[in-house]
Amino acid sequence: MLSRVADTLWWMSRFVERAEGVTRIVQVHRDSDLETEFSQGAAEYWNSALIALYAQNEFEVGKFKDPGSFIIFSPQWIGSVINCVNAARENARMVRDQLSEEIWVELNNLYHFLNSEDAHSNFATEEAKFYARIIRFSLIFQGLSDATIHQDEGWRFMTLGKYLERADLTSRVLDTLTLLGSEPTRLDLIRALRSCSAFSAFKKKYRGALTLSNVADLLLFSEDFPRSLRFSLRCIDSQLHEISAVPSGSFTNEAERLSGRALAHMNFSDINSMISQGLHESIDEIQKLLIAVGQSIFETYVLLPSEINSTTPLQKLQSQMQQQ
Amino acid sequence: MAQNLHTVDAVAINRFKDYSNTGFFDEMFGTGFVVQDHYQQIKSRLSQIGDSELETKQQQVASSFLEHGVTFTVYGETEGTERIFPFDLIPRVIPSDEWHEIEQGLVQRIIALNLFLNDIYKDSKIIKDGVIPREVVESSPHYRVEMVGFNVPKDIYIHICGSDLIRDEQGRYLVLEDNARCPSGVSYLLENREIMKKAFPRTYREMSVCPVEAYPDLLLNSLEYLSPRNSGKPVCVLLTPGVYNSAYFEHTYLARQMGIEIVEGKDLITIDEFLFMRTTHGLVQVDVIYRRLDDNFLDPSFFKNDSLLGVSGLMNCYLKGNVSLANGIGTGVADDKVTYAYVPEMIRYYLAQEPILEQVPTYLCWREDDRKFVLENLQDLVIKPANESGGYGMLIGSSSSRKEREEFSDRIKKSPRDYIAQPIVSLSRHPTFCDGSIEGRHVDLRPFVLYGDDIEIVPGGLTRVALQKDSLVVNSSQGGGSKDTWVLKG
Repeated sequence: MLSRVADTLWWMSRFVERAEGVTRIVQVHRDSDLETEFSQGAAEYWNSALIALYAQNEFEVGKFKDPGSFIIFSPQWIGSVINCVNAARENARMVRDQLSEEIWVELNNLYHFLNSEDAHSNFATEEAKFYARIIRFSLIFQGLSDATIHQDEGWRFMTLGKYLERADLTSRVLDTLTLLGSEPTRLDLIRALRSCSAFSAFKKKYRGALTLSNVADLLLFSEDFPRSLRFSLRCIDSQLHEISAVPSGSFTNEAERLSGRALAHMNFSDINSMISQGLHESIDEIQKLLIAVGQSIFETYVLLPSEINSTTPLQKLQSQMQQQ
Repeated sequence: MAQNLHTVDAVAINRFKDYSNTGFFDEMFGTGFVVQDHYQQIKSRLSQIGDSELETKQQQVASSFLEHGVTFTVYGETEGTERIFPFDLIPRVIPSDEWHEIEQGLVQRIIALNLFLNDIYKDSKIIKDGVIPREVVESSPHYRVEMVGFNVPKDIYIHICGSDLIRDEQGRYLVLEDNARCPSGVSYLLENREIMKKAFPRTYREMSVCPVEAYPDLLLNSLEYLSPRNSGKPVCVLLTPGVYNSAYFEHTYLARQMGIEIVEGKDLITIDEFLFMRTTHGLVQVDVIYRRLDDNFLDPSFFKNDSLLGVSGLMNCYLKGNVSLANGIGTGVADDKVTYAYVPEMIRYYLAQEPILEQVPTYLCWREDDRKFVLENLQDLVIKPANESGGYGMLIGSSSSRKEREEFSDRIKKSPRDYIAQPIVSLSRHPTFCDGSIEGRHVDLRPFVLYGDDIEIVPGGLTRVALQKDSLVVNSSQGGGSKDTWVLKG
């Protein structure tokens, strides 16, 4: 398939996954607010969430009063939910021929909703429904992606984007626990699990043993929980090998080499060694690996070698497109 | 339970009580007050539905277009806004004998235009025989001297032509202009039909309307026909300026319907005068480009400009015959409004036939006599730039101010070649929903002609409607909307 199309599908899928993940973080944090006085720690956990999302500076200079509506609606912060949905839809528009009508309609509807006046009033009056709508959209989007289009290379790039984003989000959620400034409380641990839709999965596996070590173990190393880092990296590695048709365990390009290395890192370390090394530092290392994997996929499948450092003047390009 | 027809008749609404059609040809009532036979069923269907149901249908249609992203983008100062192309629920109906004549007229026209282009870029017989002056042809901004002597694939320059037809006060069909470069609008034709089948399924079936759905297949056939390679399945692509182009929806729509790749300039690369697209598995050779990009944007190295949308080296691939383009390069001479004035002569010259479709009398400002007449009669004429599209830069004399007329007068004197004038034709009108009531609004018709192995025209075309009262401008960029066009089976 066209390299540009592969790239666009990958970004579309990443933005959808990010919109869902970030929405869930806000949803869960706002839920916590019901149990916590702002003076007694709410400021702290919101702050750690903003740091983990790299949003702290924009929030401080922005005009939003509360971090929740900032994370959802900020036009300035590139990672806000509304910006993710707009970007996903813009990417989808570029590759509409690759998507089913159903996928397009779902994404387009959410886009029109979030950019309407209704969105703000809905957020103010029916917050729970508002979050549910965005999260449900993402789940429907994933279902339709599996049920209504060819599971060909384009679908594989979408899957790659989804899992890379998911791995990144899970690592950030876990990182919030290291950024609190004090030992995470029971509420903090539950919030992290729920931010990854992992609370019931956790109970099933560890019953009541709610400790930082167990929470991190699940989110990092679970073999079968679909939001863990290890699970996500295994999917990334296997999709990359499906695309190149090279057997797993060997590599023919940089993307396969780096994803294989990241997966091996998750397969052959354990929670105790990470905690003794420092959880925050370990998560940092994993995030660097994820960034390198993403960059190498782009360089392997999208760019020609000569283009790796060139840039296009975007505004000029847009104005020429409009003139036609 | 369905209501039976008697009760419906009993509450039938006369939606045309206050309808006026004086002064214009009306598609439904002609020049009189009696509904034409082929509109009988539409009229009775309209009188059966209540106001609220109509309102609901109209809203459903609008939200369906928005939901499916059937939109175009209007660019202002900063950000583009997406709009739906306004749609009117009352279909335009064309009886089969009328359509048959239009069809023959359009076939005759596209053949003549193609012979003309082949001629002017080769032997120039029509110029040597004194039918068209050389300076008219060569002064056209779309004349491409680089094409002189080149054999275009299958001798076809214009593969896709969108000719605009209007009807005068007597209801005669006249050709208003030919769009021989990158005509757009066909996606709306196809989407309008889909929506109408949902909104009025019974009426649609009862009236036995010719289908239009074959267009993408026919278009693909005419593209594949051009392939320079004989073996295997030709690789055809649609070349778009990109996502910020106002017709981008149409580009993706057509690519999806044809099952071909939609590419941007940056997806393509030339190597040794062959063209390739860049895929995740390396380079793939391209045979045919359906380009939705103007000539001079296609190749920055050839046309010596800073186009970011084109592909360096593309023209060399084309001139070597290694890749085909639809439409060909330099077709813009044929839709120059000055050239337009000569089309009837072309038809006589090349085909030894009389034109089947008439056209609007045209004054050419570069001719001294014509210019004198135009300058003296500005208030009774429409002045058009010879090479603009989208309805921009026109002067409609009857509704212009003295100041505007003076400005145009200066412009015409300064560059007479760039302007033509035509008598103001009162386009036919068609019943159209306007704020709850039905009023007459001016319409035109853009059929799409495909020239491949055969010449094919899907029955009908895009009916555009000027939604503002008394407006004669149907362009989407200027407040126009559209209707579905129903050609009846013979």
